[in-house]
Formats: sequence, structure tokens, C-alpha cells
Amino acid sequence: MNALACIFVPGLAAALAGCGDGRRAVPAGTLVLTQIPWASSATHGPRDLLDVRYPAGSRVVLARPPLGPDNVRVLSRGLLSAGSPIVSPDGQRIFFAGKAGSSSAWQIYEAHLNGGRPRPATSMPDGAMDPALLPDGDLVFSSPVPTAADAWSSAHRSAIYAQSPRGTPRRLTFGTAGATDPTVLADGRILFVSAQPASMASAASPRALFTVNNDGTELTAYAGQHDGLGFIGRPRELFDGYVAFLASKTVSPGDSVWAENVRAARPFLSREKMFPTAFGACRSLEPGRPGELLAALKPNEPAGRVGQRHFAIFQIDRLSGMRRELLFDDAERDNLEAALVAPRSRPMGHLSNAGPTRTTGLLLCLDVNRTTTPEIDGKNATAAVRVRVLGVGDHETSRALAEIPVQADGSFLAEVPADVPLGFETLDARGQTLLRLPPSIWVRPGETRSCPGCHAPHGRALDNRRPLAVNEPPVRIGEPAKALAQRDPAR
Amino acid sequence: MKARTVIPVAALVAVTTLGALGVGGRFWVANHLRRWSGKQDLAWASCLHCHGVSTARLAWAREKPRHPAPAGLALSFDGRRLYIALDEMNEVVEADTLSRRVIRSTRVPGGPTGLALDAKAGRLFVTCRSGDRLAVLNLKSFTETGSVSVGTAPVAVACFTTRLGDRLVVANSASDDVSIVSVSPLQELGRLGAGREPFAVAPAPDGSHALVANRLAGITRTDSVPASELTVVDVAAMRVVARQPLVSAHLSEGVASVPGRSWALTPLVKVRNLVPITQVALGWVMSSGLAISDFQHGTVTELPLDELNACFADPSGIAVDAAGRRAYITSGGGNVVSVVDLDQVGHWLEHATEAARQQAIDDLQLSSDYVLARIPTGPNPRQVVLSGNGRMLCVAERLADSVLVVDTTSLRPTGRIALGDGGDWDPIRRGERAFARASATFQGQFSCRSCHPDGHVDGLTYDFDVDGVGRDIVDNRSLQGVAGTGPFKWNGKNPSLAVQCGPRFARVLMRTEPFPKPELADLVAFIESLPPSRTLHPRGAPLTPAQDRGQKIFFATETPDGKEIPRAHQCSTCHRPPLYTTRLSFDVATRGPRDNTGTFDTPHLLGIGASAPYLHDGRAATLEEIWTLYNPEDRHGMTSYMTKHQLNDLIEFLKTL
Repeated sequence: MNALACIFVPGLAAALAGCGDGRRAVPAGTLVLTQIPWASSATHGPRDLLDVRYPAGSRVVLARPPLGPDNVRVLSRGLLSAGSPIVSPDGQRIFFAGKAGSSSAWQIYEAHLNGGRPRPATSMPDGAMDPALLPDGDLVFSSPVPTAADAWSSAHRSAIYAQSPRGTPRRLTFGTAGATDPTVLADGRILFVSAQPASMASAASPRALFTVNNDGTELTAYAGQHDGLGFIGRPRELFDGYVAFLASKTVSPGDSVWAENVRAARPFLSREKMFPTAFGACRSLEPGRPGELLAALKPNEPAGRVGQRHFAIFQIDRLSGMRRELLFDDAERDNLEAALVAPRSRPMGHLSNAGPTRTTGLLLCLDVNRTTTPEIDGKNATAAVRVRVLGVGDHETSRALAEIPVQADGSFLAEVPADVPLGFETLDARGQTLLRLPPSIWVRPGETRSCPGCHAPHGRALDNRRPLAVNEPPVRIGEPAKALAQRDPAR
Repeated sequence: MKARTVIPVAALVAVTTLGALGVGGRFWVANHLRRWSGKQDLAWASCLHCHGVSTARLAWAREKPRHPAPAGLALSFDGRRLYIALDEMNEVVEADTLSRRVIRSTRVPGGPTGLALDAKAGRLFVTCRSGDRLAVLNLKSFTETGSVSVGTAPVAVACFTTRLGDRLVVANSASDDVSIVSVSPLQELGRLGAGREPFAVAPAPDGSHALVANRLAGITRTDSVPASELTVVDVAAMRVVARQPLVSAHLSEGVASVPGRSWALTPLVKVRNLVPITQVALGWVMSSGLAISDFQHGTVTELPLDELNACFADPSGIAVDAAGRRAYITSGGGNVVSVVDLDQVGHWLEHATEAARQQAIDDLQLSSDYVLARIPTGPNPRQVVLSGNGRMLCVAERLADSVLVVDTTSLRPTGRIALGDGGDWDPIRRGERAFARASATFQGQFSCRSCHPDGHVDGLTYDFDVDGVGRDIVDNRSLQGVAGTGPFKWNGKNPSLAVQCGPRFARVLMRTEPFPKPELADLVAFIESLPPSRTLHPRGAPLTPAQDRGQKIFFATETPDGKEIPRAHQCSTCHRPPLYTTRLSFDVATRGPRDNTGTFDTPHLLGIGASAPYLHDGRAATLEEIWTLYNPEDRHGMTSYMTKHQLNDLIEFLKTL
């Protein structure tokens, strides 16, 4: 008995001491960052996007003050490569993408500041990347990890998922374009990068920023929808109501990436570059202490060093955007994705309105003829009397699901299948297509998705009127054509 | 027999007896209730729905802590002396803005609320909201020297110099009128009908007219667009010369004119109550704005104060500097003061097309063109005043018991005048803060107060998504006097206020996460502390002959010609005193084409005269309409036998409750 007590009591005490409230204070100014061996070019036969982004030997480290290459602790111990670290709101845990072996898939790992080996937090068959955290502790990530050749192909496109600590992953996005780089805004929405669906006016699919709620409802355009950017990455909300992100004109930009920010108040008018050209390429940007940013830069001119060819972490004064100070450097590696290890404000939560037992949702459009493109090819685009609902057919083509009547005020209310990409065409009285949105949006089960119009002006609130469509039961996709015809006020 | 035998036997007998009584009693109770009410489904009814109810035990009937919350402000021209009305304390205090200390106080019974300073004559005019009077304070002695009765619940006053002498215009919020008062002699000259709930008064640019902002929109039909009004009064002539509609707008608690321009500025809430509440982002339910009434051009332009992803709920007080270049508008829910550059506003208006002006309020990207800054404040900033040179701004932080002093050059606070300890120890005060705090809703779009000013109603109907789009459109119900009247919601589905204001509210309306449990408890404590709405007839006062006749009709069991009124169709069966509700649901044949059910919770009638419109979907604009238009089957009380005079008498009685 005494012997057992001798063994267990100190062990228990140690465990309790270790757990306590589970917190370990780290010195102010501690960073977590990704280090990529500078000498190592791409690994042999990279299979997917992260293999290229984080070649073998890439690691996530904790850097304590005084910051320097000799004062780091590897958090991704035991992994072949790792990157994309984020810090939990309590400042105690680090999540990152990691790869255990050359044949294994990328997964999200969790490491405690207390120490110990990182534990896999996901087990997605085709890999997981871009971790973020919801206010309730659920992990958000994108999966699968796309191939290096075509990160945005529709065949292997990424979607955003959420997963509770011991739960199963829940898919949140269902568009035809990939969805990557999720981050959680202070208001609780998930901001992510996707492709703007090609419209009649533009056949290209530029990248843009979108938001959804934590249950995948209320897909909303956030910024960049009309800017034609080939690349947007790593969006991050700053302290002053701006969102910063990496941007490039080309789809595979290499080092020709710059940092931009956009003010949440005026997303479509205030996009601007953040740093002067002399700052060089930027590979990551994170909020630092209030009024400061942490950026991974490869300056065009020496910044205290001569002939710098790798990325180092700089602290930048947010107000001026000009003063930079070298914060962390390791000449043997590219140093990226630095984030401050400190508690920060918990984002706002959100109770879901979606009903998981249902298979459909509602779509309420207040006025299909409210649009920013009133005329297309000489045709009056505001004369729609019907809407054709599109789904995805074979070989990713659009397939007409139904044609539904539009009320005299331009409104319609339809019950549509949930969790599938949906598109729309507005049709005039002769059946000619006026406006088209290819399958790209979705409704969640039980969600009532609403929109003010088709290609409606961004950032505008609504007229105060009750749409006529709500006076009747919603039109069901699959409703017999005869029944639909009877409800069509245009016929 | 020994005790150990007696006790079990006695216990067995007791249990058997109680059980028998319980089962039999239940049958008796059910039969009794069915006979009494004519209602079949009484599964959850109990004796306590009708018996043992007392208003004396309700939270709102008990004495509650009073806090020195600043209600009204007046600042001397040089900015040295600030006068603060403390309505809960029945006091007016004088503070020195340099030392940030209260230097004098005086008792002013009746809930002092609105202040107007006549510095030349050394007088301060004070409206007393619960006392229905206007008091005059001598600034030298700081004592009350005169008083005059005005309309019901006066909340604001402004001074005017007319060709006929000095006049005061008082906004009477409950009687929906303004009093014109002569200063010497101090007497009420007359009352003019304003809009609904006049709440602020200011001199027009020409100085001879009064601008009156009204808090509620006028009563409209269910599908009509609501509109409040800016009432313009010719003070000398004592007549209303204009009623400028503010379309889809309400909850205006301030008004100001702009020196050098022919403008009146009225903060407002742009409401979109006709649109189904399927989301709250993008101002889907409401947004904050500012109406610019241009008297020279005869136009009204509403501009947004919100931003695309950031809202500043419950715009309240407004102050404009003497140069007419800046306006300062408090956001009672957002806890900021928005600083508006009026030159930029003028520039925008000059170049805007008519269409752009009409749609400006919906452009959530516009405000960054003219909002210079957002100055953070303490909880629930309301009234705001400026010094004569425009350099000092004083902001009443109502739920912090303090006044914030701001340097308008740097747009930074320079200090606070503490009036109390903030009342953190008081759960009702904490609950009121939660009630007024917009940060609980998605992007701070609105607070509880945005739909329930002072816990009362906004007089509008809403279409909540949870009942089906376009289904179950519901009238906003007052929270005043709601304690003890559960269940809640028109369908009676929420058994308690904690359920009503908890996760369901978060899911349906806030679109965020619920209030944390301790804060929810505080919120419920605050709501339960709200007494029934004020009525024009003081409670407990003797009834007039008409009211007395109406009371007899209310409790009548037979018609005047001796026919028996079925129990289920007697008013007092469902609306049983003292709360005037049995808290049961009934079908009184008011189901409309959009309703999912015809069975509705019986509302209490305390303060019913002040909560128009009526019925579950607000289709009855007046109490009369409930019976003249919407009671064809006599199931909502037998009223078809009544003459017009009898119906009038009944309504007169209802208005006393």
C-alpha cells in the first residue's frame, strides 16, 4: 500500500500540477511560426498543394524572447513537415497542418504549450489544411488538400469543414468552386477564399472572399468579387476593422504576392496595398500587438542584412504601414506565418437555424429584377417573369431543375434541395435568359436563404415592403408543371 | 400500538387520501375550469391561473433600487456648469465641468427628465415625466420656484422668444401632444397634437418654430409602410404648420437644427418590419440613420449612420455646434458617439440626384463619407450637449450613472462626472444594461430596446422566419407589466421569460449566441421590474361615469335586455383581474389567412390603452376596431349587442387599466 502510494501520489500530484487549469504562461512576445529549410527545394514528386508549400523538413516552432534561431522549440516534433500554425483564443494550444510520413495525408495537428508530441485532430482521407477555430472550440479546416497541378479543379476541390474536438467533420460549403483559407471573424462568421462564379459578363473565375456562418448558412460575398485577382490567400482580420490578405494577379504567383487590406465598412471601394514596394514579397500577415502587424517579408532591399534571399518575420507599425523592424530571422530557412502566442478576444458565437433532419431549404428572393446590370446585350434585364433553377449535371454542366414563376413585384419563394450547388437564370416573357448565375450557392437543410435580388448591388439594405411571394406557400422543386403554371401570374 | 406501526399506517392513509383527492380534485378542477371558461383543452391549467393572483407580489410592484442615472442635460454657454436631471432620484444637480464634481443638488419631485436653460433670466425649466408637470428652478438659489401642469409624461422642453413673449414647448410623450407654455405668467396656453410619442423638442433654424421628434411611427395597417413624423409648430400662433413624414423610420429621441443652414436633423431607426426576418445582416431588420429635413428645398433625406459590417444601434441624442459644421449623435446601443461632418453631408446632398437621395439610407457604404469618428462611451449614451464654443461635449452615460466629457478638437474623452457607483451590485441595473446593449446581436445591429423602447412597444408587426416565411405575422407586445403573465409569445409557447429571452431569442433574432446565464437572469429581473404602461387615467383614481359604465359592461353576465352572455364570451372570463388574463390560450375567431393557428395566448390588459395596434397581428388600429371590425362571431366577447356609446364606455374603462 505504502509503495503504491509512493508511486501514485507523486504521479497524481504531478498530473494535477500539470493540469491545474491546464495553462502555462509564455513570455510576452512569444511567437509561433513556420520554418521551411531554405536550401531544400521542392520535395521529390510533390503530390499536393501542401507538399509544395511545405516541403519535407518544414516545421512549426515556438520562438521565445529573446527571439532568435537558437531559442526555438519544435512543436511539430515527429512529423515529416508542417505549417499554417494558428493559436487558440486562450493562447494555450497551437493547431497546424502536418504530415506524418511521405505517404500519409496532411492532417490538422494540435500541440499544447505544455509540451508533448502533437496529436492529430483530424483524420480526413484526402487530407486537411488551413486550420481555424470557432468560438466554441470547434476546428474549421478545408479538405481535401488539392493537387499541386490544379488546386481549384472541380474534380478535387476543397470544401470548408467544422469538427468538434471529439466529433465527426461537418461539411459547411457546397459550391462548385474550391473553398480554402478559412478564418473566423470577430462577428463569428467564417471568412474564406473561393472563386467568383463565372457570369454571362465574365467567363473567368477570379478569386474572391466570401463568408458563411458556422453552420454553412448565409453564404455572402465579402470582397474582391469584381477585382479579377488570380490569387487570394491567408485572409486575416486585423484589430481595426480591416481584413488583410495576400493577393496576386496570377493564379500561381510564386513570390509575386503582395499584401492588401480591405476595410470591412467599404469592401468594394477601399482595397489597397499595405506596404511599399521596397518591402518585397509578402508570404504571411497576422495581427500582432495592438497597432502592429507581423509579416513574413523578403525585402527587395537590405533590411539590416545584405543580400537577403529568404523570408524573415518583421513587425510593422500598422498606422504608418512604413516602419518595419526585423523580429525573427533564421538565415537557413524561410520564416513564415508568425503569430503572437497570447490570449485574444473570443469571437461571437452563433446558434444554428439549420435543421439537420431536413433535406430541403427555402430560397426567398425579394426582387429578381433588382440588379446592377439592368441591360445586357441591349436587352432589358429587369423584365424577368420566371426563374430557372439550375443544378449540377453530368460532367459539371448546369442542369435545369425547374422553372418557377416570379411575382409581380419580382419576388419568389422556393423550396430547394439542400447542400447542393444551385444556380439561377432569370427569364423574360419569351423565355429568353436575362441574367445567369451558374450553380455556385447553396442552402443548408432548414435554412431560409434570402437575397435582395439577382446580381443585386453590394452593400445595400432593402426596401421595407412585404414580398408578394410570401403570401403563398413556397414553390417546391419537382412540383408538377401544371401546378406551377397555375401559380404563374405572368401566364 | 407502537409508534413504528402507527407512522407507516398513517402515512399510507395520508398518501391514499391525498392521491384520491389529487385524482378527484383534478377532475373537479378540470370540470370547474371547463364550465367556467368554456374551453375544452385545459391540460396544464391549474387553480393558480385564476385564484391567488396578486399584483402586490409581482416584481414591478415592489420597491426597486434607484440610481442617479442622467436623463437630461443642459450646459451653460461657457461650458462651466452642467445641469443634470436624475429622474429616478427626483433630483436635479449642478456640476462643475472643470473639477468634474457635483456642486449642488435640489429635489424636484415627479421624475425630472428634460431640461432647458434660460441663462439670461437665471432659470432652468424641468419636465417631470411621472409628475406631469413643468418645474422652474432658480439658478441662484437652486430651488424650485414654480410649476405648471402639462400633458402626460412630459420628457423634453425648449425655450422660444416670440413676438407675444417667452414661450416653452413641452413634448408630452404619453398624451401624444405638445404643451405651449407662457413663461410669464407661468401657464399652459394650449396643447397641440403631435405624432406618436413626441420625445424631443428643438428650435427650428428661424427660431420661431419648434421641431418635435416623435418616437413611434403612426398606426398603420399590417402591410403598410410605417412612418413617424417631424412635427413643426408655429409657437406664437400655436398651431402645427407641418407634419413631415419620416418614411419607414421611428424611434427618434433627438432633434436639432443646424445654424447657417435650413436643416433639421433627426436621428432615427430605419425599420424594415415588412421584410421576413430571414437574416439580420445588411440592415435586414433595421439600421440606424439620420434624417435631414431641408426646409429651403422642402426635402427630407435619410442618411445611414451604420456601416456595412458594423452597426451603431439606437441613435438617441444629437447636438450640433454653433458653426453648423458638426453633429454629434449618441448610439445608445452601440455605446459610441458618431461625429458627422455636416459640410460633407452638404456636399453630398448638393451633388446627389433625387434617386440617390431617396435610396441613400440603404447604402451601407455611404457613412464613411461623412462620419468622422466614433467616440467610445460608457453604457447607454443618450442625451448630449455642447458648450457654446463647441469645444466641449457632454454625454449622459445613462446606465453608468455618469457624464462623459469630450474634447471635440481631439475627439477624445477628457474625463467623467461621476453621479453614482454605476449600480453593478443591482441585478435590475445589470439587466437593463443587457437590455440596452446591442453587442449581443450580430454585428451590433440592434438591442432589446430597439423594439421595446423603455420596455414598451414600437407599435409594429414582424414576420419571424421560425414560423414560416410569411406566416404568423405578429404584433410587438409590451414588456411593461409582463411579470406574472406567462406563458409568453402570442402562441404561448414560451413558459417563462428566461426561455423567451434565452436560446430561442438568440436563434430567431440575435443570430448570435444566447445571453450567458447570469446575464439572462439579470435581464429577466429587469423585465419583471417594469411596471405596466402609464395610462392617461391615473391608476386608482375614481372612475368617471363613462368608465364606471364601461366597467359594468366588462364584468356583465347578461345583456341590458336580460339575455345571458355565455361564460366563455364574457370579457372577465379570459381577462380576469387583477392581471386581466387567465394566462390560458383561446380561439376567439381572430385567425387570419396567414396564421398557422387560431389559438392565441390571452394578453394581459394592464396599460392596454398605450399599446396600439391590437390583436395578435396588429390588424386592429384601435381598441374600437377589435370589436367593430374583427369580432363578427361575438367570440371575442359578446359585443354585437352594444350601442356605440356602450362600446365607447367599455373602451374608456379599458384605458384605465
